[in-house]
Order: sequence, then structure tokens, then C-alpha cells
Amino acid sequence: MSERCFSVLGLFDSAQALVAAIPIVRRGTGALLEAYTPYPVRGIEKALGRRKSPIAGMVMVTGILGALGGLGLELWTSAADYPLVTAGKPPGAWQAFVPIMFEVTVLFAAFTAGLGMLALLNRLPMFRHPMLRSQSMPLITRDRFALAVEAEGQPLDVEKTASLLRAAGASAVEVVGMPAPPGPVSPNAVLTAFAALAMSCAAAGYLTYWAVKLFPVFPPMVHMLDQPRLDPQRASAFFTDGFGMRLPVAGTVARGHLPSLIETPDEAAVLSSPLPRTAAVLQAGREGYRTYCAPCHGVLGDGKPTLTAAYGAKPANLTSQAIRDFPDGRIYHVIAAGRNAMPGYSWELNQDQRWAVVDYVRALQRSQSAMDSDVPEGVK
Amino acid sequence: MNSDAISLPEILRTPAVIEGSISPGGVDDQVLSHVSRKPPAAWFAALAITSGAMLLGFALIGYTVYEGIGVWGNNIPVAWAFDIINFVFWVGIGHAGTLISAILLLFRARWRNAISRFAEAMTIFAVMCALIFPLIHVGRPWLMYFLFPYPNQRGIWPNFRSPLVWDVFAVSTYFGVSLLFWYLGLVPDLASMRDRATGRIRKAVYSLLSVGWRGSSSHWLHYEKAYTIIAGLATGLVLSVHSVVSFDFAVSLVPGWHMTIFPPYFVCGAIFAGFAMVVMVLVIARRLMGLENLITSYHLDVMNRVILACSCLMGYAYLMEGFTAWYSMNEPIHHTFWQYVFGTYWWAGWLTIACNILLPQLLWSRRLRRKYSVMILVAIGVTVGMWFERFVIIVGSLHQDFLPSAWRIYRPTLVDGGILLGSFGLFFTLVLLFARVLPVIAATEMKAVIPGAQPADTGGAHE
Repeated sequence: MSERCFSVLGLFDSAQALVAAIPIVRRGTGALLEAYTPYPVRGIEKALGRRKSPIAGMVMVTGILGALGGLGLELWTSAADYPLVTAGKPPGAWQAFVPIMFEVTVLFAAFTAGLGMLALLNRLPMFRHPMLRSQSMPLITRDRFALAVEAEGQPLDVEKTASLLRAAGASAVEVVGMPAPPGPVSPNAVLTAFAALAMSCAAAGYLTYWAVKLFPVFPPMVHMLDQPRLDPQRASAFFTDGFGMRLPVAGTVARGHLPSLIETPDEAAVLSSPLPRTAAVLQAGREGYRTYCAPCHGVLGDGKPTLTAAYGAKPANLTSQAIRDFPDGRIYHVIAAGRNAMPGYSWELNQDQRWAVVDYVRALQRSQSAMDSDVPEGVK
Repeated sequence: MNSDAISLPEILRTPAVIEGSISPGGVDDQVLSHVSRKPPAAWFAALAITSGAMLLGFALIGYTVYEGIGVWGNNIPVAWAFDIINFVFWVGIGHAGTLISAILLLFRARWRNAISRFAEAMTIFAVMCALIFPLIHVGRPWLMYFLFPYPNQRGIWPNFRSPLVWDVFAVSTYFGVSLLFWYLGLVPDLASMRDRATGRIRKAVYSLLSVGWRGSSSHWLHYEKAYTIIAGLATGLVLSVHSVVSFDFAVSLVPGWHMTIFPPYFVCGAIFAGFAMVVMVLVIARRLMGLENLITSYHLDVMNRVILACSCLMGYAYLMEGFTAWYSMNEPIHHTFWQYVFGTYWWAGWLTIACNILLPQLLWSRRLRRKYSVMILVAIGVTVGMWFERFVIIVGSLHQDFLPSAWRIYRPTLVDGGILLGSFGLFFTLVLLFARVLPVIAATEMKAVIPGAQPADTGGAHE
């Protein structure tokens, strides 16, 4: 008598009996055999003619990918995208990258072995398998051994198979039907549970994102901006005048800022530069000029920069005859004390820097009134 | 996983892995049945104490996050103190679990079957405790994701040459792989629990967790192979994790830290502390849960022998460290080692030596090795000693380094102590919950090794 079923199951009391029965059943039927055991039984794969597990190859491949991935990440980030020199080593020195390469290799290989075994090779999770509904399952996970003759979708001669299994030593026989009736965990319930899990993960992720974004800016976190420290330009109740920033003690003289006894431009005319006229001094003067003078007087010193045009100001033309006739000391005095609308620059430029700027202004004046005759004979 | 055919060294060949006779079904009845029983009053009392300690720890962590880590005793130059001591301590505790489950699996030590599940669970819980400490030590834990290499608007990456970044990768890999290994070992047992469960909710939960495991021979074929491969990988991993943790110290230039002996020394110390913790928990669990026939005095004896061996290795490491320091002819290193034993924290140095080297020598005696009181005394001693070893290494080295004007005596605060207590509370709370809801012994593996479980003539060993 043939009927549609998933398999016919013979139960055995010991691993010994199961292994002994396999060749007998095999001779009696051409159908697919599968054994179910509470623990791995030695020699059973051989008796059933199973092929070796391919898992070692899979692990090898992903392990190598992990090593290369780890090395690639480290090389790209540390040597290509943002070259970082640590302890004087070349950015691409690979020796320090070995620990992380190793960890990533193990991570990839272990999860390939674990999840690859469960999901790819054993096709788990699977909650609808007919075996899970069988009466024998609780016995199998406990201490009994089962040999299943599987129908593989074809009608199976149940009577004949059952007697074959009994003849091979089975103590009990069960016909596992199909399709599986819904059990305590229906597929829908599992799907619902997974959907709920996915949705709560998404919700938790969204909340975490905002928590991480907002948490640091709420008191008392405020990204550590609130610190017991006096920032520049802030008031302070500690001092009687209410200012957080303090003035120097009376009579303090900063380096390079000796107070000048000279009050008028005429008195200043007698001063002269203490510096030698070297290229280095002119270079320092150029730097000072470009920083503090050029915005108004222009890089050429002609008083025609773009900046002041908008304000209708009229800065002096430093290359004019009047200023060319100034003695050095007078130009020095203007830099230090200011003139007309121009403020003094004595805090920004110290004495040496002022003299260097004076020298540079002289150089500008000379360059702006250059003649053909200034060019040497040889290069004309 | 189960081989009698391979000839084993004497220590591993002793047959008495189970006392008395037991059937495969009997293993299930004994190991898996406690879920359906009402827990004893002692369990509730213990849970109340441990979860109280845990909540205290969490409250103090909350206080630390609110107020800033200035509430701890750490300050320059002792920028690492309780937080890193506890981190190293807990990561170390976890190593015993991986050693028992992975390395002994590869060596086919059959006595591991009875204790591997508990030890693996303790690994997971210990690493969870460990991960708390670097997280709160960064001060602003919500910015913890800075540790990982993710594309960001600052255009910069972690410094992959820093041992601290190696640590991030090593410890997170360790946690992930340990969890995976533990879970895979649980799947067949969860299937047994699914089939035993009576309540609707309980059945649904165990069904979901066992992912429809049905024990077919093709499942077992891939399962055993994968399990062995992960054991091999975990073996390399467990050796690498504490080596990387030791690099946090050894790669720096601090006197007392900058030593090549650190990686093996740390790995050995980790296994040492971990075994002590496993013994402590198992001694109590086997009695309270009535598992004396499965976790026999032979198991405890073997574990105590491992503790003794580790203790001797630690003694060697301490002597070697001292010798290296002396031989370096380097004045700051001489000073640091002098401080270890005669400085402000001299008592911590001597406590370490007494607990880690002297006390375990009791275990040379077979009679003492099988005595509950001695076992618990040694286990507690080793736990205390290993914690103080890290204290000596970290605080002892940092508080007086190259610059005498920056020397400072470190004093922990009550918050430091409370968070340490809280981490013990968390650990034991998780152990207690685990012992209620999951099989504490790998029942499937036990069934496979009891006499008569395997066919007599199989034509040789297989995996």
C-alpha cells in the first residue's frame, strides 16, 4: 500500500543497533536514508555514504578574505587616505597591522564556520520541517536513535518499509506525515516575531541616533564646554574691576617694547636704524609690511589698495616725493605712534620689526622710481 | 569531541569522568530538568544580593557619567587605575572558559565536557563585565563609536598602530566568537529542552532558540566539523586577546611595563585567574544543583592541578620580570621594581606573591586538592591575588615614573570600589540567571561520552 508521507521512521535503542541496521535497510530499499541521533554517532556518515563537509574550504576562503580585508583597511586608511607617521615608521609599515589582521581573520572565519554551518549547510532556522512534528522527536533529542526512509515527494510503500525497518531491529516505527500541521510555533508567529524584532531594532537605532546626537548638548554634558576656566574677553566676579583679563603690573616692560621718550615727529628725525641692511632684515620688513601696512598702503606702497577704496579713505602714497624726503626716524615714528587716521602699531611690531619695515619701505620707494639706467650694462 | 581511540597522556586518560552509572536519558533528566522546578530559596537570596550589588554599580556608573570621572581616584600620572585593572582582570577571567571549551576540545580531554558549558558562559559574562570599564573610562561613553574606523566628517581614522585600537578589535572579536561558540554548543541542548518543555511560552522560546534543530546525521556532520574549526580559531584567538591586552602596557615606555615577557605572562595569568573563578563557581553549583556525579571531585582535582601549574608559571614570570629589571641596568626600572615590593604599595606586591605563588602550593597535596574548604580558599586567594597583581603593575608603575616632580600617591575613592563591587554583582547575577534557564552542563556532549554511547566497532576515530 502506497501513500503520501514525508518518511517512515524506525526507532532504535542504541547507536550500535542503528549503525548495524543501516546496511540492512540500504539493501532493502533504494530510497534516501537519513539518521536522527541525540548526539553525533561515530561512523554513521560512512554507513550512510555521506560526503565530507565543505565547511573547511569555506572557512579558508573567508579567513583569507578577512586577512586581506583587515590589511587593506589599515593600509588604505593609514597610508593612502590620511598618511599617518607614528614613531618615525613609514606610513605603510605593515608589521603593526598584524594584530588586527589576525583578529579580522578569526572573526570572518569563525562566523563563516558557525553561521555557514547553521544557515547555508543545515538550512536552519527551519521551523516547518515535518520531523519536528513527529511523535519521535522528543525521544530522539533524548536518548533514541532513528533511521528515516524518506519519500522525497514520491509515494512510499509504508507497509513494506515499516517491516523492513522492523526486520533491521527497529523497536518502533512511525510514519511521519506531511504537510506539517501548525505546531506551537507557527511560521506566521516566527515571521511576526522577526518583523517585530526588526522594527524594534530600527526604532532603537533611531532613538540611539538622536540620543547620541542630543545627549552631549544637554546639561551637564554640553560637550565639556562648561569648564571651571576663564575664557578670553570674559567677565569675572573674582576681580574687583569685573574684568577676566588682567593688565600687566604697572611698570612692566615687554621685550622689544621699550617705551619711547620721543613725542614729536621732529624729535624722531634724529633716530636711525640699529639694524644692518641685510637680506634677512629686508625679508622680515617685507613680512611686517605685507601683514600690517599693505592692506591700506598697497603692496607697492602706492596707497592704492582695493580694500580702502570702498571706504573712501586716502592712505598716504609711501612712494611720493614727500615721504621719500622723510628721514628714517620719522617713518619709524609714524609706525609706532600713527598719523592722522592711522593708529600706531607699537603693539603689533616691536622695535626691530619697525626698523625692518622702514628699510623695506625704502626699498619699495627705490623700486618704484627705478630708471633704465639702473639696469646693469650686461643684462640690458 | 569524543575519541577513545587516540592515546592520551596519563592525566587525561583517567576514565572517571562520571561517577556511578547513568543513561543518556538520565543525563537529560538531571541536567535539563531544573528549568521546570521552582528555584530554592537560597537562589532567590543569592540573586537579591548579587543584583543589589549590580544595581549599586550601575547607579555609581550613572553618577560617574553625570559628574565626570573626577569622582574616581585617577589623576595624572595615575591615569589608569581601577578601570583598567578591572578590565584586564575580567578579560582574564574569561580566558579559562575558552581554554576549557576550545583548547581542551582539541586535546580531546574528556573531562572538559562536564564543565565546558559553565566555563563558556562565564567567559561571556566576564567579557561583558570587562567591556563596561573601557567604555566608562573614556569619560563620554556616548562617543564610544569614535573607536571604530567609520567614515567621518573629520576625515581621520583610528591609529592602527596603537595597541588600544588593537584592543578594540581583539576584545570585540573575542566577545563575538565566544558568544557564537557558546550558542552553537547550546543548540542541540536547546532542542532537547524544546522537546521537554511543557509551558506554551517556554516551548516557543526554546523552539526559537534551537532554530529547528533535529539532530539529523547531515546536521551533525557539518556541526562537528564547524565546531572543531571554531575551537581551533578560538584557541588562536584566546592567546591573541590577552597578548594584545598586554601590548597596551608592553608597547609603552613606562618602566615596569616595557617588557617582552608580558604577552605569555598575561595569558598565563588570565588562565590562572579564570580557572580559580571556574572552580569557585562550580564547587558551589555542583552541590546546590545536585550535579556531584557529573562534575566529580576528579574534575575539581584536574582543575586544581591546572591552577597549580599556572601558579608555578606565574612564579617563574615574577622572577623573570625581576631578573629582567635588574639586568636592564636602568635606574627608573630598578626604582619601579623596588617600589613594587618596598614602596607605598608594598603590601599589594607581597599580597600578590602570597596569593598567587605561595597559597596555591597547598594543591601539591592530593588530599587538600579534593577538599572543598582548601579549594575555595585557594580560588578566592588567586582571584584576590590576580586583581592585586594588575594593581601592582598599573598603579605601581605609573605613580612614580621618570619625572620625580610628577610623582603622586594614588588613592581610590568609594565610587571606584562600588563600581568594582557592581561588576562582581553583574557577573554573579548573570551566572545565577544562566543556571536557571539554560543547561549548565553540555548534556549532548555528556551523552556522547558515557560508556556504551558509541558503536563498538567503528573502524577508527573520526571527528
